[in-house]
Amino acid sequence: MSNAAIALRDISFTWPGQHTKTLALERFDVQEREQVFVSGPSGSGKSTLLALIGGINSAQSGSVAILGQSLGAMAGASRDRFRVDHIGFIFQQFNLIPYLSILDNVLLPCRFSAYRRERALTQGNDLLAAAHSLLRSLDLAPTLWTRAVTQLSIGQQQRVAAARALIGRPEIVVADEPTSALDSDRQQGFLDLIQHECEQTGTSLVFVSHDQRLAQRFDRRIALNEINRCAHAEENT
Amino acid sequence: MKSITWISGIIGAGLLVGYSLRLAATPAAPVAAPASTVSADNGQYKVGDHLQQSPDLVTTPYKPSIDSNAGYKEIAWESLIPKDWDAMKPFKGLKLDKLQDDDPRAEEALWKAKQYWKNAPIDPSMDGAAIRIPGFVVSLEREGDALKEFLLVPYFGACIHVPPPPANQIIHVHSAKAVKNIRTMDAVWINGVLKVDRSNTLMGDAGYSMASVKVEPYLDKSNQ
Amino acid sequence: MSFLFPLAAKSAWNRRYTLGLMLLAIALSSAMLLGIERVRHEVRDGFTQSVSGTDLVVGARTSPVQLMLYAIFRIGGATNNMGWDSALKLSKNPAVAWTIPLSLGDSHRGFPVLATNLDYFRHFHYGDGQALQLAEGRAFADVFETVIGAEVAQRLHYRVGDHIVLSHGMGSMHLTDHADKPFVITGILARTGTPVDRTVHIGLDAMEAIHLDWEGGAPMPGLTIKAEQVKKFNLTPKTVTAVLVGLKNRAAVFGVQRDIGDDTSEPLMAVLPGVALDELWQVVGVGENALLVVSGMVVIVGLAGLVSAILASLGERRRELAVLRSVGARPFDIFLLLALEGLAVMLAGVILGLILLTLALLVLGPFLSAQFGVTLHPALPATGELTLLLWTILAGFAASLLPGLRAYRLSLADGLTPRL
Repeated sequence: MSNAAIALRDISFTWPGQHTKTLALERFDVQEREQVFVSGPSGSGKSTLLALIGGINSAQSGSVAILGQSLGAMAGASRDRFRVDHIGFIFQQFNLIPYLSILDNVLLPCRFSAYRRERALTQGNDLLAAAHSLLRSLDLAPTLWTRAVTQLSIGQQQRVAAARALIGRPEIVVADEPTSALDSDRQQGFLDLIQHECEQTGTSLVFVSHDQRLAQRFDRRIALNEINRCAHAEENT
Repeated sequence: MKSITWISGIIGAGLLVGYSLRLAATPAAPVAAPASTVSADNGQYKVGDHLQQSPDLVTTPYKPSIDSNAGYKEIAWESLIPKDWDAMKPFKGLKLDKLQDDDPRAEEALWKAKQYWKNAPIDPSMDGAAIRIPGFVVSLEREGDALKEFLLVPYFGACIHVPPPPANQIIHVHSAKAVKNIRTMDAVWINGVLKVDRSNTLMGDAGYSMASVKVEPYLDKSNQ
Repeated sequence: MSFLFPLAAKSAWNRRYTLGLMLLAIALSSAMLLGIERVRHEVRDGFTQSVSGTDLVVGARTSPVQLMLYAIFRIGGATNNMGWDSALKLSKNPAVAWTIPLSLGDSHRGFPVLATNLDYFRHFHYGDGQALQLAEGRAFADVFETVIGAEVAQRLHYRVGDHIVLSHGMGSMHLTDHADKPFVITGILARTGTPVDRTVHIGLDAMEAIHLDWEGGAPMPGLTIKAEQVKKFNLTPKTVTAVLVGLKNRAAVFGVQRDIGDDTSEPLMAVLPGVALDELWQVVGVGENALLVVSGMVVIVGLAGLVSAILASLGERRRELAVLRSVGARPFDIFLLLALEGLAVMLAGVILGLILLTLALLVLGPFLSAQFGVTLHPALPATGELTLLLWTILAGFAASLLPGLRAYRLSLADGLTPRL
């Protein structure tokens, strides 16, 4: 049994200032190199889960271990550092910083993490070359690289975000509804790219989405509203 | 709640700037009215006010005080008058109560007395004394905004409705370093070595001067 | 962490149109604030430099400040004159070392004309006890000769030997010329940085000469006395505007002042220049402080505008902040980012303000120098200005903490998934 990339145990979490618990689960595991599909409609505790994995918040009880290290034992700043060192995030939209160039956006994690910077240099001769190579493998032509962020389509922006998540080969990539803003015919293509890249580099992938069609492509599927004892379904989202 | 914090923060910053503007712009010296030819009755001092000095000087004004400030002994203005000088000398030999009303001799004696007081001599033994004395400033020369040369007089309003002090009650001060924020009729302490100036004129113009090493504002303890 | 500086700069540049207005507001208000302090300082310096070593200024019994302003600085309204006999009596006073009689009233192309005698060049001192020097030529010796100040020579391009015509009265109204009695420039004074520079000096006899055929301020029609004939008449002045007095013993000034005031033959007053200037500054100081406070308020308003512009933008930047958190920014980094933005714009505003001020001084300097004889140096800020500058920057610093704190708290609450 390889080491778990992500291991949550006996989590009980209430947001500060709230009365009701949002997350109560016994177990949530993601192995190294594993690609997991997490489905979670609104109200299933998805944001909470991501906050715990990212080390933004700490659970009131239970343990969160990333790559064998317990986040609860770390101080706030260390958690922030740990997050960028080992996890890459892709969000649903507005992933990019509008006043930075595309390449600056991709290289953002390397500015905050020396660990990622070191590992990025194995992806190319220098940081820029590493960024270029990633962008190419994510199907972004060099002519696009000098464009402003606002001039890219949503699909292109999501792929730049993916490059940012993958630069420096973090061990884990967490994608929160990355295809939900894309046209339906693009969604599969994006998923292909992501999965391919993660396979290449041996990165664990946590893919959160409500689109069941995409779930077929994953070996393991977790329904968050089933494992979260506090989940409640909402009628309209 | 949060908006209150922000608004009070901005107001606080504003008050900070405004208050410090006032501090930077207005003199830091205590409130004392400058010389004015119209009204002398403002600020702490009235025309004719003397400055309070050490208690032991009140009893023995001709001796320097036992307190000393960096080696400069505090003296009273009386010390600058020769010990043997008699203010009433012009009236000696004149029996005022024996004269008739409106006697021209009384008027003449008064005029002579006024001249006598005006030409009161200085005390040569004070030459070289290291003294500390408080008084009121009459500006003479400035260097930019800082005062370099001034006259020190014993009482407030010495250029207006009161008789000017006699020569032995004026100190002509040259400050080693030009002093900022001092205006005419401000009350100050000066430390320095007194020098007696002699000049050969018919009027017998002699006076006290000093190259003062320190000029600091006089702070009235009763108002502190 | 130093990576945050370029990030903040790029962020501010991205919203340069909104922030640019605020930057301009801060620039203008800090230029105004520093400008007032600078002008105030220089004017005071200029005034106190203008007369040195003069113990008393004697004139008709009017207002001491007005006498000073008119006689020394040649500005303000004319005062009553004093009699020549009193001036003579003063020069014979045993306590007096020297006197300089002054007479004003005429002008030449906007520059005041001062009638005096050669004692002026001997005894008048300014600044730090500096005497007047002639840059070219010599003092006036004959009736229609004149010595001009450095500013007059420079502005009107005069040389020694040029001929000029004086006008009666001061001010910019259409003035009558003394066209029949031109003057020749025999000397040009070296620059002093005082009102001397913009003065045209003639002899007291010359002043009498050009007004021989005048009466009550206007030429008498039909009566002309030619320039060559003036010496046949008595050119002793009847009145002068003021007399500058230097005493043998400075400390005796009170006695002499009292004697002049008590003199029953003519209502005169003797003014101590230092004391009169202090009185002037007390009056002017109130206005100056009011101006400074108002400028300070304007700076605050500019800062408040900047802060609210940044605060307003925070709402739409929550996603951006979440992205930054996801790539490893700590909440403190978020705070720094926003605070630095405000600080950067504020600093840029202040620097721009300094530049604007320098430009304004360069442009306005010559004008003020010609009008008031006060030179404004576009030099580095003096101590008082640096203090104001420091407080402005501190206030801006304090103000920029507000959006920083707000962003900090938002980031803590939002985490990776802001609820928009």
